[in-house]
Amino acid sequence: MPTVLPPEPMADVVCLGVGYMSGVIAAELSIAALNNQVNYKVVAITKGPYWDYVNDFSTTKYDEWGVGLGRKYDSPLPLQSATIRNTPQQFALPVRRYTMPIQYHALGHGVGGAAQHYGGTMGRQGPWGYKQKSLTDTKYGTAFLPSINPHNDLEDWPLAYSDYEPYYVDWERAHGLCGNYNGSTTNSSSDMNYPWMSQNYPLPPHPLTPVAQSFQTAAQSLGYHPFPHVSALASQPYTNQYGVPVNPCVYDGYCGGPCDYACETGAKANAAYRTIPAAMKSGNFTLVVNSFIFRLNVDTTTNLITSAMYYDAQGNIHTQPGKVFFNGLWGYNMIRTMWLSGVGVPYRWNSDPTMVSGSLGRGLTNGYLPYRGTSVSASLPNVGGNSYPAGNGSGGSVDIYDLMDDNFDHTGLNFIGGSEIGAGGYLGGGPGNITFAGGSSSANMGATFKATQKDKYLPSKLSLGSTPFAHDLPTTDNYVDIDPHYTDAYGDPVARLTYDWTPNTYNGATYLANKVAAIFTKMGATNVTVGSTVNPGAAHNDWWGHHLRGGCRIGINAASSVWNKWNQCWAPYFNIFGAGEITNTSGDNVPSGTHVAGAQSYVAADGIRKYLALTAPGQLT
Amino acid sequence: MPALRLPDKQKSYSPFVIESRIPKPEELVVLSKRLLDSTITIGKALEGCTKKWAFGGDVAEVISGVNVEPDHVTILTTKEGCDEISGKLSRYAVVAPAMAERKLAREAKIAMKPHPVMIRSYMAQFNIDGSVLDVHGDLQIRVGEWEWGDPLDYEPDFVYVVGVKVPVIPLQMKSEIYNGLGWRDRAAKIHEAVIRSRHKFG
Repeated sequence: MPTVLPPEPMADVVCLGVGYMSGVIAAELSIAALNNQVNYKVVAITKGPYWDYVNDFSTTKYDEWGVGLGRKYDSPLPLQSATIRNTPQQFALPVRRYTMPIQYHALGHGVGGAAQHYGGTMGRQGPWGYKQKSLTDTKYGTAFLPSINPHNDLEDWPLAYSDYEPYYVDWERAHGLCGNYNGSTTNSSSDMNYPWMSQNYPLPPHPLTPVAQSFQTAAQSLGYHPFPHVSALASQPYTNQYGVPVNPCVYDGYCGGPCDYACETGAKANAAYRTIPAAMKSGNFTLVVNSFIFRLNVDTTTNLITSAMYYDAQGNIHTQPGKVFFNGLWGYNMIRTMWLSGVGVPYRWNSDPTMVSGSLGRGLTNGYLPYRGTSVSASLPNVGGNSYPAGNGSGGSVDIYDLMDDNFDHTGLNFIGGSEIGAGGYLGGGPGNITFAGGSSSANMGATFKATQKDKYLPSKLSLGSTPFAHDLPTTDNYVDIDPHYTDAYGDPVARLTYDWTPNTYNGATYLANKVAAIFTKMGATNVTVGSTVNPGAAHNDWWGHHLRGGCRIGINAASSVWNKWNQCWAPYFNIFGAGEITNTSGDNVPSGTHVAGAQSYVAADGIRKYLALTAPGQLT
Repeated sequence: MPALRLPDKQKSYSPFVIESRIPKPEELVVLSKRLLDSTITIGKALEGCTKKWAFGGDVAEVISGVNVEPDHVTILTTKEGCDEISGKLSRYAVVAPAMAERKLAREAKIAMKPHPVMIRSYMAQFNIDGSVLDVHGDLQIRVGEWEWGDPLDYEPDFVYVVGVKVPVIPLQMKSEIYNGLGWRDRAAKIHEAVIRSRHKFG
């Protein structure tokens, strides 16, 4: 039998996982100066290690095989995986590797989580996104959504954009986001179309590339409102509101590519280099690494969680008691851990959408484009490039929000929302700029492959490409539950993802591709070509992309959501909070879900403060 | 759901990872909230300052990534700059601008011998919400019996502190001064910060 060790000392707040969201909770609750000099004791537990960007990344990251294919910094699949299928009728199979075509994006591991290796692209969700259900019903009729999204399960958020706006500011300051507003012409709180800002981003945008400048000029001439892409890679030296200094990006080129290159200077924002250092400095914070959380213990009389149990690296079992628990695990594990512990109401699928029940696992969506989508391509014959210096996060590019949300009339169209459209990001992706093995087409191997590499690093002409799509909408048929067959290394069931893209993504793409083509044409591009229309269902999701999200909704209705407006679990599980839930994002073709989730972590921090001040456990209102 | 089932044998999983130990609190570079708030207040108040100025001292080093523990804020400027800053920060004034000369607590160590270090400047002092701010105009340094050096001049670097762009004394200049004084430990801290940022001086 494993050795069960005596319980650890009681904590005020126990963070499950130490990624972006937990980092905010750790800093906000452990720093006494932010809590009227109350010294809350915070413990945070992660299955992975602590990463130091100098010792761990500055030399070892230049390892194309180990990082790009071996995924040596990422969550090890033999430890835990998930299974995936497209429909409830299929047998779900486990993800066995991170490389295409089975899988592409890897989950994070250790302090900082997935943000250790992400692209760093950001972008707020606008006012429409938070109320898209009611606004769509009002403007286009209540029959519209069910007609374009079979088994529709879209809901409004419990708070409006104006409620989240100050929390966005906190998030952006903590992580040193770069940009220059979001395209709102008035930047006033009456603007319902664009994410207006009470404070500009704390850092200026990265320098724009020639392509971005061309896109900006063309977009403006077409009446759009371009703005620099929002990036979480520090463009300048920075110090955040916790007093943590940040090194700026060195544009080393080993950054993006397949989104897997950790940053060697800490310029790529994540909890390890923005929030956790401040928590550690506070004296009120304990970091537990290499420890796998497998259960929450619940007092059956009060339904309050009393402790979290985890395995250490030697297999010993630890028990961490706490007053409040914050679930900052990655989406599927957030759901799985609660499900296995009997916390929350598990979602039960039914082919009849009126017969479904439960909320935990309900509403899985995808922030990424269909594997095949309607695309548009073009050439810029007179613009060259340099692929060596590069940051990622689409730094250097320019975006517009004019073709997303309800910023154009959808009357007569068969979709809602749209896409953030942009162009001009830095060319370089380090070695990721070379097509990795794994595909099966002739372009990915042999003489054809070599030929395409000749002009790769100092191209004399550039290609433009875009595969825009409207956002994925929740349905009752896409969800997370517990797999009945496969287990993790410790014998617990893994999460099972049932997901396929919804029609909204494809239908939006058809419309948007032509709009993008018009911008490319205005830029002076040649050979502007809109690809053949890809109809809904023409491609199926066969990957466990890290942009699959949702399944643990924040909402108004306890029957269909897990968290209330304070990101507190609905009754009776009052003492667990969570963030990172982004079922109902208005979406775009960049994964801004992190930014949307980030604001919630500050809401949750305020919620936890309120909860700890209660004289008896209860629901926050 | 099934109740917790413990495996019948010890299970451990040790994936190969390259990992660092968790740093000790004293190894982490963090500016205290009090000095951070003061730095922001000063930065905002001096946004329109016409004379050259920059944060110096340990605060400038922390926000540039150097692991030191400041206890007050320092600004280096010219004599005219000191007067202008004194006007902008008049509500925080404690000591009016005047010539001042003092001996530093730490001695220089040159050719293995200790030497007293004197500084003189046109100096004013302020209390910014509980933090001491020293403003030095045309600061000069004298080591032992050598001549006074020229007033310090510099081209500042810039750091964004919670969105407020503030000038700071370049680390390269501070490193040169520390090395000149024989304060190798302080120069080494700067060297470590520069290595971690992977940027060249300046």
